[in-house]
Amino acid sequence: MRILIATTQVPFVWGGAEAHAEGLRAALCAAGHAAEIIRIPFKGYPPQRIPEQMLACRLLDVTESCGAPIDMLIGLKFPAYLIPHPNKVLWIADQYRMAYEPREHPFVGGLLEFPAGRQVRALIHAADRRLIADAKALLANSLTVAARLKRDCNIDATALYHPPPHAEQFVCAGYEDYLFFPSRLTHFKRQALALRALAHTRLPIHVRFAGCADDPAYLPELRQLANELGVAPRVEWLGYLDDEEKRRQYARALAVVFPPEAEDYGYVTLEAMLSSKAVITCADSGGPLEFVLHERTGLIADPTPAALAAALDRVWAARDEARAWGEAGRARYDDLAISWHTVVRTLLA
Amino acid sequence: MRIVIATVQVPFVRGGAEALAEGLRDALRAAGHTADIVALPFKWYPPECILDQMLAWRLLDVTESFGTPTDLLIGLRFPAYLVPHPRKVLWLLHQHRTAYEWWDHPFADLSHYPNGLEVRDAIRRADGAFIPQAQAVFTISATVGRRLKEYCGIDSAVLHPPPAHAARFYHAAPEDYLFFPSRLSRPKRQELVLQALAQTRQPVRVRFAGSADEPAHAGALQRLASKLHVQDRVDWLGSIGDDDKIHQYAHALAVVFPPADEDFGYVALEAMLAAKPVITCTDSGGPLEVVEHGKTGLVIEPTPAAFAHAMDTLWEDRARGAAWGAAGRARIERLNITWDNVVRTLAGCS
Repeated sequence: MRILIATTQVPFVWGGAEAHAEGLRAALCAAGHAAEIIRIPFKGYPPQRIPEQMLACRLLDVTESCGAPIDMLIGLKFPAYLIPHPNKVLWIADQYRMAYEPREHPFVGGLLEFPAGRQVRALIHAADRRLIADAKALLANSLTVAARLKRDCNIDATALYHPPPHAEQFVCAGYEDYLFFPSRLTHFKRQALALRALAHTRLPIHVRFAGCADDPAYLPELRQLANELGVAPRVEWLGYLDDEEKRRQYARALAVVFPPEAEDYGYVTLEAMLSSKAVITCADSGGPLEFVLHERTGLIADPTPAALAAALDRVWAARDEARAWGEAGRARYDDLAISWHTVVRTLLA
Repeated sequence: MRIVIATVQVPFVRGGAEALAEGLRDALRAAGHTADIVALPFKWYPPECILDQMLAWRLLDVTESFGTPTDLLIGLRFPAYLVPHPRKVLWLLHQHRTAYEWWDHPFADLSHYPNGLEVRDAIRRADGAFIPQAQAVFTISATVGRRLKEYCGIDSAVLHPPPAHAARFYHAAPEDYLFFPSRLSRPKRQELVLQALAQTRQPVRVRFAGSADEPAHAGALQRLASKLHVQDRVDWLGSIGDDDKIHQYAHALAVVFPPADEDFGYVALEAMLAAKPVITCTDSGGPLEVVEHGKTGLVIEPTPAAFAHAMDTLWEDRARGAAWGAAGRARIERLNITWDNVVRTLAGCS
């Protein structure tokens, strides 16, 4: 079949969403199909410019190319999943969250503070409700994303997991004296919460943070917070790591810390499990909660510095437990049978 | 600088245009810039689709990304170059040809439709209004520049693109085949070569590489070869990778490249990098800017008889072909077609 994958592009950014589309493309080609990615450039601000980008997507014709049909369109993100096609399957990684989060939300909210914010929000809701239903099949990146679709749009979608990039290359090479927290440095990944927790720990826990800041001013802010909290000597900021370096850090970590707020899916959880490492996450972290089993493959703590600190201390003190949970995490990943083979079979069914 | 390259994507088609966009992106990055390609899918039929896509591009905002401005936008193809941006440079591969030189022409498309004329006029108005808004207008060849001047009255400067992997092309002892790498499509005129093969005196063999834009076209060409009884002297390599392509060039006796009014044509450059003589036609467009008749190859009438004679000449006179190939290699080295030059010229417009 000739299949197009429709996703969204923020120029110059390459992250998890891009890896997702690329992984799907490679898997479809490996299964013998012709697959290509189309990326719609999307600038989500100011909100009053969003409707015209939704219109741009509705104006595209991807039903055929050079006289031969395009058999299927797989839509991954807003607004690219609005592109019309008679055989469209949605595997939603991301709706436009700012149109759905409650207004008091400290990190993501703000749509209603803009002129015409209310109208834009209503338009996005209406488009999602009406046009998502045009799809022949509705899948979501995770139970977390599916639950939001149900809650906000009354749409039923089935969760379909996929492997993180290069899943087969993660290994375990021991359990050394550091916790690893790889993620883009940004508010909702909550590196700040981890720093505050470190200020409450009893034990001299070391954390290695890896990742770049979306907003270049954020890293100095985090460093300053670490100084103010008196935890700077116990943290390292590794910055950008290439894939090999990142896997090496996973391989030797005692455990992985990953307490984002309402993560859609979270490759970090899976990468930790693949590396046989326990995961410390929070009760409101979203995606990771679909994989981490409390006191079996890691710990789920309340999203407060004190509760997270207790979890960090527990893992730091009980090394055998950390190792056992890590190995159980690896076994759980294998049991879940997360594979591109399953993805392709499900999407094309 | 942060630079966005705006181009179009024709799903499942990959040719020189795609290679150029990627080459430009990689060259900009190698020169220390941050560069990314932005592309929307393009379908040009029926004609009203074109208007929709022109509008779609005008609705996009690529002026900044996560709060950081895009310093420069380089527009390559219609309708991508219509996207709004205060610092825009065009490096035109071509305009929408069926609205211009291919209107009412054997390769016409738009003129066949009842609303073709109004869409043609909308395209011409848009080009006339938006192309001059760019800080600078470059074209990949004098051929494209001439069309822009003739139809739109717009001046431009020529900036030739280097082919991908230019440094990897090499020359080896020629074997018994002529090489013709191009997408299988009517403007490339694989048919002309097949018809010419039916008239050669020598047992000339041709290797075609490339896949068909329209899937049915490959079969049509193979049926034509059978009808002309030349199927035993042609090989259809299909889509081949860069390594294989470089190898095929290296061992070819000569390269045949007779497209109709090509915008520029990497094939002629690649042949010269491999020190091979080129057979092209008097109406081939771009290749005529680099191939010299009787010095680096043959430029002949686009008829089967003339083309057959040219192929026979190079099949028989191996020494002359080798000399022309060497001259072609020397010529391309003098032309200074490099990514350094392209990057400096385009980035210098901001």
